[in-house]
Amino acid sequence: MSTIIKAINVSKVYHKTTVPVHAVNQLSLSIEEGEFTAIVGPSGCGKTTLLNILGGLDQPTEGKVEVDGTDISNMKDSELIDFRLRNIGFVFQAYNLIPVLTALENVEFIMLLQKRGKKERHERAMELLARMDIADKANSKPSQLSGGQQQRVAVARALASKPRFILADEPTANLDSSSTNNLLDLMARMNAEQKATFIFSTHDQRVMDKARRIVTLEDGAIVSDVKR
Amino acid sequence: MIAIIAWRNVWRNKGRSLVVIGAMIIGIWAMAFGGGFMQSFLTSYIESSIKHETSNGQVHQPEFTQDYDIQYYIKDYSSILNFLEQTSSVEAITARSLVNGMISSSRQATGVKIIGVNPDEEAQVTELNTLIVDGTYFEGISSNPVLIGNKLAEKLKVNVKSKVVLTFQDIEGNITAGRFRVAGILKASSIAINESSAYVLKSDLNRLLNIGYNVHEIAYTTVTGTDDEALAKTLQTNFADDKVESWKEISPALVFMEQWMAATLKILIIIIMSALAFGIINTMLMAVLERIKELGMLMALGMKRTKVFLMIMLETIYLSTVGGPVGLLIGYTTIAYLGKTGIDLTDYSEGLEAIGYDSILYPMLQPMDYMQIVIGVITTAFLASIYPAWKAIKLKPIDALHTI
Repeated sequence: MSTIIKAINVSKVYHKTTVPVHAVNQLSLSIEEGEFTAIVGPSGCGKTTLLNILGGLDQPTEGKVEVDGTDISNMKDSELIDFRLRNIGFVFQAYNLIPVLTALENVEFIMLLQKRGKKERHERAMELLARMDIADKANSKPSQLSGGQQQRVAVARALASKPRFILADEPTANLDSSSTNNLLDLMARMNAEQKATFIFSTHDQRVMDKARRIVTLEDGAIVSDVKR
Repeated sequence: MIAIIAWRNVWRNKGRSLVVIGAMIIGIWAMAFGGGFMQSFLTSYIESSIKHETSNGQVHQPEFTQDYDIQYYIKDYSSILNFLEQTSSVEAITARSLVNGMISSSRQATGVKIIGVNPDEEAQVTELNTLIVDGTYFEGISSNPVLIGNKLAEKLKVNVKSKVVLTFQDIEGNITAGRFRVAGILKASSIAINESSAYVLKSDLNRLLNIGYNVHEIAYTTVTGTDDEALAKTLQTNFADDKVESWKEISPALVFMEQWMAATLKILIIIIMSALAFGIINTMLMAVLERIKELGMLMALGMKRTKVFLMIMLETIYLSTVGGPVGLLIGYTTIAYLGKTGIDLTDYSEGLEAIGYDSILYPMLQPMDYMQIVIGVITTAFLASIYPAWKAIKLKPIDALHTI
């Protein structure tokens, strides 16, 4: 398997007050293609900051992040937007679907930004919704869906752009047990069938149980990295 | 799809959007109606001036317009009359003799412009007969009938059939006077007619002036849609020794009023649209601030800032323009209805007529005026959209996503 992401000596320091806060501290990490990785640790340990840096949403104070050998740490904002569109899928804790679009349109939207044809968009969106067991809700607006259903649409949207990897920040935090298990099963299936690379931040034991690699952070640094 | 998202976003908060759209409808209606009302004032004044004073065009001997001396009568008036009679766009023609003089009653005397007319021709050109409020139109008086304005009658303290004396210089410069009897009293929206004009028979005046059949002024009206300036130029070319003027040249004040009214309408549009623009900006800023997280998500997913900018602009433009056609339609309907029935300002008629306006006004707007309003709405929508859209693209996805 090839290395998709390589974080090299990455640090992120916030100056919220006069005292600097090291959210990520001299962290190095490699993610291989097809991995199903959970980044875990207590609140405030730097999970979300690390994910934001890996996803090009935030830039490290020190160090660099390479995606498929390309250094994204110093990319311009407009380059990063385009880079994210082509390479990264996002699943957010609060689903963050576009409320005025249907489930189908939400999944199609990302492909529209990629300027893919109408037929391809529609077919792929329907296929992904079907894989997420939510094709019957294709024409429902997010407000008509449960939290679990919305998160499945969000995963379908993340996969729709055919990204190199998917970043999921606490994807099950707002879900009940049943929805969590359902979502994790679907993501694991997508990981197995489509070799989709997933990186989660979580402190949900059920997610950790499904993960094949668990990276544990503490005070912004990796304290353990276990592959199963 | 961005256009669809923008359109649907407009209706996310229906109440708020409807308030803005309602404000746009009322604003545009107010612009259309206000413009139409102002236009009716202008048109009333200009039409009244053309009808009762300047006509669509006049011919004089050039020196007469400068000195107002009666010796400068039109040399070859019959050729001009023939030419005008054969011009299809000319509706009616009248020839007048003119002199400035004094009018006196047993109680008062004042300066007056004495106009010698042919009653039938004058009725066709200036509809002078329709202005009679007391007495008759040159009838019922066996010799030397005179028509005077109501204000002049009040000043002279005379009534119908009262005697007045007109005094002026004849062609040889001799002071001459004629005894006239008031046949009718006129009331017009023209101050000049009401206060300082005396209409007599041309034959009576010419006899006293001793100028035979000569005239000092030929006035003509034209059919609707005639280019009065072009016609005046054609006449001027054919009669180079005389001075031909359209109503615009005779009365530059009317042209100024037209321009002033056009400028006022533009200012009205700017004021109303500026007020509406701030309402729109406020609403759209609220819409952007409410959706910071969503906008951050869109940029995180890979939506370019230019597309976010476009989306917010489209939302603003939709919000601004959706009420436009409704406002214009209501404005057009109001103007069309009141343009037929008129707005009765009889309660203010004394004041209005004192400054030369009719008491019943008929609102109207030209297609170009509607176009100005449409351009105003589109410009406002475009300008109002820039700030909220700019605020949206200044968001950093990472910060926006973590907004509660």
